[in-house]
Amino acid sequence: MTDWNAMSDAEFRKEVRGFFEAEYPEELRHLPHRPKFAEIEHWHVKLHAKGWVAPAWPAEFGGMGLNAAKLLIFYEEQQRWGVNRGRDMGIQMVGPLIIKFGTQEQKDYWLPRILSCEDIWCQGYSEPGAGSDLANLRTRADIEGDEFVINGQKIWTTMAHDATHIFMLVRTDPDAPKKQQGISFLLAPMDQPGVEVRTITTLSGETEFCEVFFDNARTPKANLVGELNKGWTMAKALLSFERIFIGSPSLAQNALGQLESFARGRGAFDDPVFRDRFAQAALDVEDHAALYGRFADQLKRGETLGADVSMLKIWVTECFQRITELMIEAAGPDGGTIGPLQVGNVNVDVLASFYKARPTTIYGGSNEIQRNILSKAVLGLPG
Amino acid sequence: MTQTDMLSSDQEDLRMLRESARTLFERAGGSGRSRKLRDADGGWDADMIRELAEAGVFGVTVPEDNGGLGMGLAAGGVIAEEVGRVIAPEPVVVTVGLSLGLLRRLCPDHAKMEQLVGGTTVLAVAWQERGPNGGPAEATCRYADGKLTGSKAWVVGAVGADGFLVVADSDAGPVLVLAEAKASGLSLEKSPQADGSAMGELSFSGTPAEQLADGAAVQDALADAVSDATALAAAELVGLSDRAFEITLDYIKTREQFDKPIGSFQVIQHRAVDLHVMREVAQAGVREALAQMDSEADPKIRARLASRAKARAVRAAKKITRDSIQLHGAVGYTDEFDIGLYLNRALVLSAWLGDDAYHRRMWFDAREEEGAAQ
Repeated sequence: MTDWNAMSDAEFRKEVRGFFEAEYPEELRHLPHRPKFAEIEHWHVKLHAKGWVAPAWPAEFGGMGLNAAKLLIFYEEQQRWGVNRGRDMGIQMVGPLIIKFGTQEQKDYWLPRILSCEDIWCQGYSEPGAGSDLANLRTRADIEGDEFVINGQKIWTTMAHDATHIFMLVRTDPDAPKKQQGISFLLAPMDQPGVEVRTITTLSGETEFCEVFFDNARTPKANLVGELNKGWTMAKALLSFERIFIGSPSLAQNALGQLESFARGRGAFDDPVFRDRFAQAALDVEDHAALYGRFADQLKRGETLGADVSMLKIWVTECFQRITELMIEAAGPDGGTIGPLQVGNVNVDVLASFYKARPTTIYGGSNEIQRNILSKAVLGLPG
Repeated sequence: MTQTDMLSSDQEDLRMLRESARTLFERAGGSGRSRKLRDADGGWDADMIRELAEAGVFGVTVPEDNGGLGMGLAAGGVIAEEVGRVIAPEPVVVTVGLSLGLLRRLCPDHAKMEQLVGGTTVLAVAWQERGPNGGPAEATCRYADGKLTGSKAWVVGAVGADGFLVVADSDAGPVLVLAEAKASGLSLEKSPQADGSAMGELSFSGTPAEQLADGAAVQDALADAVSDATALAAAELVGLSDRAFEITLDYIKTREQFDKPIGSFQVIQHRAVDLHVMREVAQAGVREALAQMDSEADPKIRARLASRAKARAVRAAKKITRDSIQLHGAVGYTDEFDIGLYLNRALVLSAWLGDDAYHRRMWFDAREEEGAAQ
């Protein structure tokens, strides 16, 4: 077993970059949509054989056991080469939760199946009445004999139509004094009569989000992870690393690269107004990367990130949106055209980038929620 | 982000430098001292110049062999940030960036070096000229037979300086000369600035001056010194923005309307967060740019990095100081509240050596040139 953490950062980066560049299928680079598993299965098989499916998991559970510094490098290289994250909900969310809070039986059963993608997971958190106010969720799970019986509805469930299992936050004690209490973390199979999935067509015409309806769906009691009614605290504990990941500069950097080649090809730089706005956007990305580096250094020193890391997400997502808006401007009369636009030998899908940027300020805690968090937890403002 | 967090991201020597500079300025009276000086005559305090010199401030980027600390521009930026936090009127950036920036590159053994580092003299640098339309123009100031003729504009620190480092043309090409403030044929017109200081408009008619350097080296050194000063002015704006935001944050936590602190209203909170994020991005970006300048020898790349720093710092400082006035409400529009002092200094520092729009243009052009060269 290789001890990746013992390598220098530069050596490790070279190793990761080398593997991606040599092995990642060209046709899957920078995919503009979320793929179904079948589309990327050949890549997953390679990754699995290499033992690189779960970079963050401890080696004893089949992960790479990377520390925070190496993990950042891994993700940076992944994004640099346009490597699709794959169907990683199991890897990113369920696995870490089971490793931290699960029983030995749960670890033995679920973790290998996550790594092999025998089970493909989707995340059942949001509900029609529980978006930013997630603790307001109402989907119920009641104990009947050896099973939980689930009733209710989840929404914005990414790729639920291509998942075998769902991990969800459900209400197990409707009488708890606070809404954050009485929530449990439950695993359930999708392939059963009480579960119905409907896709949602988005503005861009994609169908990656779903609604999931539960009508007396069932899951064994053994699929409760952690303590009953303690799901909220557990779910929050998972978010600390995601908070820097979601604020990483790569999305905006990639979009800026696309904007530059597109704008150059279209002659948009002849316009001094456009030049200025491009320069502003490019500097926004560059200075964000400097700030990101400061937080990454904190992680590398082994420090825990505070609530102030939220500012990365606010800045970079809004910046990403401005960049894609500039692409549309540069496209001129093609600004409403679906599909790749040819400029010289470059293809840029202007609308796909624009659409991709829109939900970034909504998901992962909307930017308004992030501002609330910063205001209270970092600036110490009252009320 | 608290002050402690901010400190922890500096390397240890920079942290100590920051602490000693902060202590020095706070002990001297912080922004209150700056207000008093503004109200007096808009000048600076000679004792403070000596104290700063004793702390090594002016020699921060001067090599140790020439009596400095030899710490580089990032360290200069740390000091400039502290100057900005208390809006101190002493010409720290002018001295570190411009006058010593020129002398240490062109004539490191000149006696004025030691005097500048030691705080026993202050020199302002006169390099820009005003054209017929009032804007910057090609330099026409001449130096011949030991005498200067012509005029210079936008000379920061001119009032109170003991002499001027003047960049002029001669038959032998560009020269750097030194004219004493009291030299004959030199007249100084004050151009009053928003922060109570004055820029100098100098005119020379046969003013005696000592030649310090000549040739292409003068233009090269000037370009590099201007990059240094631009980057340091950016750092000063970062410190200024940092403190202006702190003042505003304190204010919205305590000012009550509708029986609540106004900082409990979400619209105020979100605006405050936006300013906070702007401040943090500026601090990270500017510090990174200065650190990169320290490890970069190519003057064009250094100029590009300086432009990145100033473009960011001006943008942040404008937004933070202007929104701070709004968040203070009517009292923000009075001279009595300190926040206005920060707005006024931000106006002056933003305009000096190019504002954000100017530096975005410089940055973009430099980037294009580098791209074309590759």
